[in-house]
Amino acid sequence: MSTRDDEIRRVVAELDAHVATVEADLAVLKALLADNEVREEEDLSQPGNC
Amino acid sequence: MTDVTGEILRSWRQSQGWDVPRMARELRKAARDSGEDVAAHHGLVKMIPQWEQGGRAPRERYRLLYLKVFEDIARDAPPGIALGAEFAIRLAEVRARAGRLPGPDEIRALAAAALARPRERMTPAEIRARAAEAIAHLHEVATKLAELSALLGDDEDKS
Repeated sequence: MSTRDDEIRRVVAELDAHVATVEADLAVLKALLADNEVREEEDLSQPGNC
Repeated sequence: MTDVTGEILRSWRQSQGWDVPRMARELRKAARDSGEDVAAHHGLVKMIPQWEQGGRAPRERYRLLYLKVFEDIARDAPPGIALGAEFAIRLAEVRARAGRLPGPDEIRALAAAALARPRERMTPAEIRARAAEAIAHLHEVATKLAELSALLGDDEDKS
């Protein structure tokens, strides 16, 4: 295993971690939006809310 | 190898600058070298895009041929690049995931949409913090992709 191989593996591991963080944040934001949409639809379907 | 998606197969092919007919030739060559029968060239030219689009999965013998083709590439690559097929798969996966991430503007728009609606699970500050974290890490992703390209000599290949 050369130094360059080690460096490539290190960068890929770091890249993986950053990508995972962005994916996790996006998932949270999207889930929040989805929840809000569901709640708004439920509110609209309640009598007296129209 | 069973977890390799069509997107990864495409990224492997494109990483070599191969079009579909060239990929078909490489698969047939790998099969010929190991004494196996595979589909005719025109059949593979039809199947490869289907595999890459995820419409159908390649059978085991084709998956093994892919591995053989790209193992050969890794072995023939300059010192430092021959990291092995498993690592090549991981590299392709991480790059593909990075490529699917939205841009900072899209993340800001997502956060703005979340802030504009009633919410119970998160405070506005938490939403803003999530978006800021995502954008900060997105910049790191770009930096790491550039580092990786330099290490792998992607720029040299393109010139």
